[in-house]
Amino acid sequence: MSNSILNASGIVKTFLSGDRRIEVLRGVNLDVAAGESISIRGESGSGKSTLLHLLAGLDAPDAGTLTWEGSPDTGAKRRAAFLGIVFQSFYLIPELDALQNVLMARRIVGHIGSAERDRAKELLKRVGLAERMDHLPTQLSGGERQRVAVARALMNAPRLILADEPTGNLDEHTGSAVIELLLGLCRETGTTLVLVTHNADHAAKCGRQLVLREGRFA
Amino acid sequence: MPWYLYLAIKQLFPTGRRFPFFTAISVVSVSLGVALLIVVLGVMGGFGYQIRAMITDTEGEIQIKSRGLISDYPGVVKKVAAVPGVAGATPYAAGMLMVQYQNKPAFPQMRGLDLASIDRVVSLGKFVRIGSLEALDDDSVILSGGLADALGVRLGAMVDIYTPLMLAKKDGEVILPRTARVVGILEIGHQQLDSSTLYCTLRMAQDLYGLGRDVHGINLRVAPGAREEEVAARVNAILPDEVRAFSWRDSFADFLWVLQLEKNMMMFVLLFVVLVAAFLTMSLLLVLVLKKTREIGLLGALGASRRQIALCFCLQGVGVGVVGTGLGLALGFTVLHFRNDLVRAITHLTGGQELLARFYQFSELPEHLENRDLALIVVSALVLSTLAGIIPAVMAARLKPVEALRSE
Repeated sequence: MSNSILNASGIVKTFLSGDRRIEVLRGVNLDVAAGESISIRGESGSGKSTLLHLLAGLDAPDAGTLTWEGSPDTGAKRRAAFLGIVFQSFYLIPELDALQNVLMARRIVGHIGSAERDRAKELLKRVGLAERMDHLPTQLSGGERQRVAVARALMNAPRLILADEPTGNLDEHTGSAVIELLLGLCRETGTTLVLVTHNADHAAKCGRQLVLREGRFA
Repeated sequence: MPWYLYLAIKQLFPTGRRFPFFTAISVVSVSLGVALLIVVLGVMGGFGYQIRAMITDTEGEIQIKSRGLISDYPGVVKKVAAVPGVAGATPYAAGMLMVQYQNKPAFPQMRGLDLASIDRVVSLGKFVRIGSLEALDDDSVILSGGLADALGVRLGAMVDIYTPLMLAKKDGEVILPRTARVVGILEIGHQQLDSSTLYCTLRMAQDLYGLGRDVHGINLRVAPGAREEEVAARVNAILPDEVRAFSWRDSFADFLWVLQLEKNMMMFVLLFVVLVAAFLTMSLLLVLVLKKTREIGLLGALGASRRQIALCFCLQGVGVGVVGTGLGLALGFTVLHFRNDLVRAITHLTGGQELLARFYQFSELPEHLENRDLALIVVSALVLSTLAGIIPAVMAARLKPVEALRSE
């Protein structure tokens, strides 16, 4: 595919548990086109999060290849500009307010100026937190925290967003609102989305649905 | 501002949140260590400085002594006064006496002063509490405060003076004591000198000791900016071998060495307080790394390099060191400023103020912190705090983002 933004080929990942070798991923192949939205479902322990970490370049596969826009460079520096990640547990920095949490994604990449501040504020407005920018994570609800995490993932205008069960810690209603927001923002900005979820309804909202079973896509 | 510095500051001193326990404990422990070093080294330095001031105020920076007596002292004074770096020279005679007032005896040190030249070397007049140095003549004496108190002498009283010379009877002749009027009471601030010293004219001292025209020694004042040791060496170059010039440092070398050793040992021992504070900071930073494992994973996921993550935690150690040292300096100098009030308060509660003064030779607790000592304290505290941050920083940097994110 010429406009492939992410390509994983023959990904194998095994873990050692005592003397046992557990083969979590057994040759996963995935090609994601720019602008696409993909959901990955699977039972607990099926390797969804492991796959996502591998796709994000946070872990190395035992076998197989991974490329981002055709390049095998999946290092930290490139990751910061290329993709945004949304985690199940939000992972906001408790000492920073909502605005500074969003800006942290940019700080790591480079300089913070008025343009960056304006963008972070704009993103927080887009996720409905215009009035909560100076609130610390402890002063926000679970849904609000996840919306800050979504804004942070979009801060560097990434080509790809990887979301690892972003609704896992939220109630049904709040979770659906976060998914709608994420999909809407990705559509608006043309950002590619790979969503790992348990929830069939949320998965159905994506353009392509994949199911991970016994270490491979079914 | 780089993100790791920004985050280090925010984690140490977060805005809008309760001041972190970790920061408070670490900063306080470093502050106490630094303050303790400042106070102890300040007071120890003060002893040395006070002794120097006491010696140079009363004897000049250089003393010329002979194995026997110095004869033709006017010639020697004239010669040494011409040496570059010498601002003034004055001869003296010194020895032990017995003073009696209304059948009350005391055994002070005598100091015979040449009134014509004393002002060129020592400003003794500024220490005269009652009476004046100008009133001193060959029939009068000035007593130190402690001696006057011990004898119960007031200004104008007549005292009897005995010298060892009077013990020797010559052809059955009994030499009567010399009577002198007390024209001044002097207090230098040094317990030993203030407790028992008698000041008289050089002529009177020569008479009392039967020195004729000879003297025991010559005190020299060094010109401002001149180095005492260099001037002493130049003076020695023109003196005969049996007459030598000693700088005050040479004269009190053993005492100063003991004082310096005591100060160095204090520094060495008290540095352990800062070292313990550094270990405390390190252990608290290690706990912080464990507590923030997932955040470290997040930073890695956001694109932070290992080096940057390490710097973030190392800078927290530096931050603790900088703030702790700053507060420690403020606390230390505040305690030094109020040291005498504190000592008075403590001795008021426990008693023994006089004992303290007698033991330490000073009526007030002295203070003098040398720039070298101050720099050593600051650098030690900062280096140890920075080192304290290195192990947690390395531990944080070694965490793999994916493992950190998975941690519970």
